[in-house]
Amino acid sequence: KSCQTGKISTVDSAAQSHTSRDAGVQTDQSKDALQDFQQEVQVDYTSLLSFLQGVEDAVIKELNKNWKSRAFDGFEVNWTDQNETVLCLHTLAYPAAQDQALQVTSVSWNATGSVVACSYGRLDSGDWSTEKSYVCTWNLDRRGLNPQRPDLVVDVPSSVMCLAFHPSQPSLIAGGLFSGELVVWDTSRTEDPVSWRTGITDDTHTDPVYQVDWLPDAKHGNHARLLSVSTDGKILVWREERDGRLALAEGFAVVAQQIPRITQLKKFTWGEAAVGVTSLSFSHFDPHVFVVGVEGGYSLKCSTAAEAPALHRTGSSLPLRAPAELAFSPHAGPVYSVSCSPFHRHVLGIDAGAARRARNLFLSCGTDGQVHLHSILQTQPLLSLQLSKKYLFCVRWSPVRPLVFAAASGEGNCNEWFCFIGDVHLFDLEKSPQKPALSLKQAAGECPVYCLEFNIKQPRLLAAGDATGTVKVWQLSSDFTEQGPREMNHLEQLASETTD
Amino acid sequence: GIPIRTTLDNSTTVQYAGLLHQLTMKARSTVRDIDPQNDLTFLRIRSKKHEIMVAPDKNYLLIVIQN
Repeated sequence: KSCQTGKISTVDSAAQSHTSRDAGVQTDQSKDALQDFQQEVQVDYTSLLSFLQGVEDAVIKELNKNWKSRAFDGFEVNWTDQNETVLCLHTLAYPAAQDQALQVTSVSWNATGSVVACSYGRLDSGDWSTEKSYVCTWNLDRRGLNPQRPDLVVDVPSSVMCLAFHPSQPSLIAGGLFSGELVVWDTSRTEDPVSWRTGITDDTHTDPVYQVDWLPDAKHGNHARLLSVSTDGKILVWREERDGRLALAEGFAVVAQQIPRITQLKKFTWGEAAVGVTSLSFSHFDPHVFVVGVEGGYSLKCSTAAEAPALHRTGSSLPLRAPAELAFSPHAGPVYSVSCSPFHRHVLGIDAGAARRARNLFLSCGTDGQVHLHSILQTQPLLSLQLSKKYLFCVRWSPVRPLVFAAASGEGNCNEWFCFIGDVHLFDLEKSPQKPALSLKQAAGECPVYCLEFNIKQPRLLAAGDATGTVKVWQLSSDFTEQGPREMNHLEQLASETTD
Repeated sequence: GIPIRTTLDNSTTVQYAGLLHQLTMKARSTVRDIDPQNDLTFLRIRSKKHEIMVAPDKNYLLIVIQN
């Protein structure tokens, strides 16, 4: 027997080997990149010198041509579709809260910019209220968003006066209550969202907490500490303890006697009276400097590095310090909101001169219907705008355009000739410092708007909460969201022409 | 590219150096693809906020940023 396999024919077809070439190799920018730079680079200085000499003339010629050039004047490129209109994207409300005639006391956007939260409470109740209130969140990026049904509703036993989302953890939100307590909720926990609370201790505020804020911790990068401000004059910084409690880490107390005197305030009575603090804003360039607005109508420049102890009477576990360094000239009524300009060096990159001046600007608004633009360096305001005869509850700088800010107005006697119709006003200092560039009517009829916040991640969105219990999310037109050429220069000019 | 001298802060410098080196190489190959006898002498990028000028060389790159 024989075994025979068929003839297997083989043929050499082409064999292909890869030719490869190094295209660009990109590594993650790590600290090593910086260290490489700092080490001694092997440089042939003579060839470097000859290169620079050869190239110097050409570059200088171009630089000179550039600053004299009028070639590009008025030439602007539109990369995105220009959206001319301002729309109200969403009208969010929680019907159960509206039935109880609760008002929106505060709105906040979370770290990713997709969730907006609002707190319900009452801003006009004078006495100690034990009314229940709510904190509601809506995720605007979800499909099937029902504006009448919040994604999360938290029942709170006391009235929530202010809210703030954590700047980097998208599910943590802190709230200050009418009772003086602070609570931090974790919205990712469905059973019991309460993460930490202060409870009522000797350390907590004795008056309603009007503003909470997260203070970026210089030591721990992502970590942030909670700061609260109240009309009892105390500014407290809290630390999270393991058992779900918030313990006092450090504190400041603003006492009338310790405020640096300015001439206009001579007529106010002094003493150890606590000064009611209603609002606070941290400077974006110096983590130690912050500005507070007080019930007395003036703003104060304060520093966390202050050492002097405060003459505060009530006992607390930690000694409180007096932070005030400079008092600015007052409004004719309590200051309800202050906001420091967010434009600082990293945003601008190169233009250090304008950055230095812009860093020093902050806005304050109060019940006299005026907005003051101050430089942190001097007591007199740079600009004083009379927006309306109504109270102004909130003022915020735009996060993208250095010359734009928004103000929310409400109650108060309105003089027909003088009032700007509308409740949320957007000012563009480039176009006109006297009239608002845009006025948005939040609702039909007289409806005070108590709070507003720009969405930092999606700068076209502005959320505003009002007295009828609705939160409106406005989409702004592109002129409010795109920085024009040379806008920082205008801001710098504005800051310097009025100081001179 | 590795930065040798700079008037800006470190992280911005490294960012500019890396990005502009790549862009300069691409611009140079564009010029030479169109006309092999030609070569890139100067690159200017005008943006809303400033103008970036790059003077290239065989071994070095000079980057100037003007408002």
